[in-house]
Amino acid sequence: MLTRLFVVVSRLRAIFDRRRLDDDFDAEIAAHLSMLVDDNLRRGLSRQAAERAALVQFGGPLQLTERQRASRGLPIVDTTAQDVRYALRSLRRNPAFASVAILTLAIGIAAATAMFTVAHAVLLRPLPFAEPDRLVEISEVNPLKGWTHTVVAPANLADWRARNTVFTDIAGYIGLDDRGASEYRVFLSGAGDTQPLNAIAVMGNLFDVLRTPPLLGRTFTFDETFEGRDRVVVLSHGTWQTIFGGDPAIVGRTIVLSGRSTTVVGVMPPAFFFPNKSVQCWLPIGVKPDVFATMRRPHWMHTVARLRPGMSLAQARDQMTTIATELERIYPETNTKMGVRLEPLHGIMAADARPTVLMLGGAVAILFVIVCANVASLQLGRGLGRAREIAVRRALGAGRARLVRQLLTEGLVLSIAGTAVGVVMALAAPAFLMRVAPDALPLFATPLIDRAVLLFAVVLGLSAPAVFGLMPAITSSDVDRLTLRADTPSRHTTRARELLVAGEVALAVVLIAGSILLARTLFRLQQVDPGFRPDHVVSFKVSLPRARYPQDADQARGFADIERRLGELPRVQAVGGTSALAMRGSTYTSEATLEGRAADDYERELRHKSVTPGYFNTMGIRLLAGRYLTAHDGPKDMVTVVNESLARQYFRGADPVGKRIKFGRPTDTDPWITIIGVVGDEKQDGLNKETQPEAYAAIAASTQNPLTIVVRSSLSTDAVVDAARRTVRAFDKDLAITDIATLTDVIDSSVASERFRAILVGGFAAVALFLAALGIYGVLTYVVSQRWRELGIRLALGAPPPELFAMVVRQGMRPVVAGAVAGVAAAIAVTSLVESLLFGIHAGDPATYVLSAGVLAAIALAACAIPAARAMRVDPLVALHED
Amino acid sequence: MGDSKSEILQGTLDLMVLQTLEAMGPLHGYGIARRIEQISDDVLQLNQGTIYASLLRLQQRRWITGSWGTSENNRKAKFYSITRTGRRQLATEAENWQRIAGVIGRMLRLAER
Repeated sequence: MLTRLFVVVSRLRAIFDRRRLDDDFDAEIAAHLSMLVDDNLRRGLSRQAAERAALVQFGGPLQLTERQRASRGLPIVDTTAQDVRYALRSLRRNPAFASVAILTLAIGIAAATAMFTVAHAVLLRPLPFAEPDRLVEISEVNPLKGWTHTVVAPANLADWRARNTVFTDIAGYIGLDDRGASEYRVFLSGAGDTQPLNAIAVMGNLFDVLRTPPLLGRTFTFDETFEGRDRVVVLSHGTWQTIFGGDPAIVGRTIVLSGRSTTVVGVMPPAFFFPNKSVQCWLPIGVKPDVFATMRRPHWMHTVARLRPGMSLAQARDQMTTIATELERIYPETNTKMGVRLEPLHGIMAADARPTVLMLGGAVAILFVIVCANVASLQLGRGLGRAREIAVRRALGAGRARLVRQLLTEGLVLSIAGTAVGVVMALAAPAFLMRVAPDALPLFATPLIDRAVLLFAVVLGLSAPAVFGLMPAITSSDVDRLTLRADTPSRHTTRARELLVAGEVALAVVLIAGSILLARTLFRLQQVDPGFRPDHVVSFKVSLPRARYPQDADQARGFADIERRLGELPRVQAVGGTSALAMRGSTYTSEATLEGRAADDYERELRHKSVTPGYFNTMGIRLLAGRYLTAHDGPKDMVTVVNESLARQYFRGADPVGKRIKFGRPTDTDPWITIIGVVGDEKQDGLNKETQPEAYAAIAASTQNPLTIVVRSSLSTDAVVDAARRTVRAFDKDLAITDIATLTDVIDSSVASERFRAILVGGFAAVALFLAALGIYGVLTYVVSQRWRELGIRLALGAPPPELFAMVVRQGMRPVVAGAVAGVAAAIAVTSLVESLLFGIHAGDPATYVLSAGVLAAIALAACAIPAARAMRVDPLVALHED
Repeated sequence: MGDSKSEILQGTLDLMVLQTLEAMGPLHGYGIARRIEQISDDVLQLNQGTIYASLLRLQQRRWITGSWGTSENNRKAKFYSITRTGRRQLATEAENWQRIAGVIGRMLRLAER
């Protein structure tokens, strides 16, 4: 055992000490031989005979030295080191080739690594909870209401908790918008300016379900879910550090949140977030216990549940479906057709981004193959000198496998250099991604260069030579051993390179077609009329704390006062407020009954929002019939304004103004509300979504808090925000404005995913196009240099130069045309996979493919033109005098 | 192949080298080769160079060590000497060898009958 270790150590040492050991051994052999010669002389032989006899007695010293070297060190290390040294020398002799190849590889590796950081952040990196794959989100589905994934009713949640045996527990939380961002703000006052904190409101058992212990103090108890015991808060590590300066005595400290004194009971560990990193603190939802007994109609809770050990998701789905059916039977009023949907938490959090990530991953994979093809083509193109050298080595007895290995080592050296440069480039990826895509990635996913990402880059870099190096290695080691004529114009090599070019072109066409489709999607989206005039409007949220504005009337008065004060600012044209800004969803939904309809004929899903009188005017929403809401429309007036979609869908062309509607079923006792006006549709969920029927209530009649204020002004955004902040503070010094965004920003961020996809795939396509052009140019330059003499002869015999130009271009375009045809076919097949990411254009759109092929052909022609022009300038005399 | 000379079995050369160094004390490669030839009465056919493969193997296993010195004729030569573990190894190997030789001898004797 120990002996074997000694051998390994000795062999390893020998690798680093070869020169001294060689000298040593040479001296030893020399001494041995001279002793032999001495003996032979003593036996009476002549010096010449003595020396010859000595050699015979000793055996061949050269072979012996070779054998000695082999068994002294580790032969594989020796030959590899030799190959590496050789590769480095040969690359140094060809700096142009080396730098182009390394840079090409670096671009490929950087792009792939950058995409991997995204895929890793969104799909692969586990969430920071114990056994995160056991966590499930439960949502409700209802075909009658068109719900496929909806927040749940608290009473249903309570029944699930009581009846199921598949989960250790189910917790609920609220305060997220549609994109999963926290939209619940609490306002920390006491020291200096009031500071808004992003929060979510949770049931007391949330942290038990997540099974994450706090860093300091404790998490909530279940009792703290309810009103009266809910004045407690758990802080995120970041909040504790930045806002409370890491105060070691934070646990037990009382702080003022939205006007209520609240006790800090715990701080979570640094790696923890839930459900994403924007959340700065967690508060109990603070509802009355009977909410969980009776509230079955309004749906507003997100859920997270943990599967019991040994329980599968399928078993949980089965049981929960059974429970939902039972509830349907017991509560037909509210639960008819109400089903459940169970999804792994991570899966559902990543669901929106998943197609994007997969598509971008596919695009970057295509790009990477193009990169490899290009490097392969470059290697083949080193051509003449290379082939001669290989032929000589072959003739001297180098085995084919040995040559392939040596050429692959060269590829590996290139790839390692390319990987190093690529990783350095990829270090900029997270910052870059966060800049082009702040809203395109889910909030829980922060792209990071970590060990997994680096490992990916290294594995990719090390395996790349197998892709790009094998073909050239095999092709170029294939020389005629008898004639050593690898340096005759090699049709073989040219054919191989043309094949690579055709492949590159085909893949480039796929990327170009994809990028055109995505760019046109973005363009079409931006053409969509949002239903309001976004220019020169700044929006921000104001929240009036219940502690100091207890009654609805206090709040309505407060908002009215703020609106009036803002309206008095100089150069402010209009001010309004809404409970749900355009593009940011609705406030709540209800059923609806039109007066005069049959008893069972009612609408299942009507959206509601409350607005101030100035809202429509500020937003530039058109009045189609009747009148807008005014400051005089109060709680007793029972009036509403509806949108165009409601008029169209509910009244089917009849004029709704003057008709009455009730926000419940025909049998419900809700009051009748008169429709006083119809306004144009404003986009609610995104530019690519159809607008749904919606009713607008006057803020005084249906008070909502917080309110999003919109200000139309010819002032700069900063000036407006500044003035607004001062005005709101002047009204109440403890208020803060949050969620500041211009309406242009709001629209822009709603197409962030589309822009992200279009920019990235467009970038990939541009690189692919450039590489394909480089490939075409490389091959054709090579061909022209090989046909130099032939071109000279043609010119001498009177061929007109333009004809030569055309001839060369034709040869260059041959693989391009073949590749483009294959590429269009492939693109049609591949892009149909991303149909769901498109808007206003079909994957099969013919113009796109014509355009892609056209763009490629134009670039390819340009790439051909340079070598072709050189062909025209061949001087026949010079060409014929060469050799 | 000569009828009066035998090839050296793989591994036996190592044993011979160890035994030579044990018996003669520190010796250079030429001396070891000569000694083996003499002892075998030139029965063994030995390319003297092959001794060095054996010397390398034994050094790698740390059963012998080598250092430069001066020969009896005032030549610089590398002298090898057996180490403590080498001696132990020699003892085991020798015993092994005796046993195997004994077994082979018995088998051959049986076959003759």
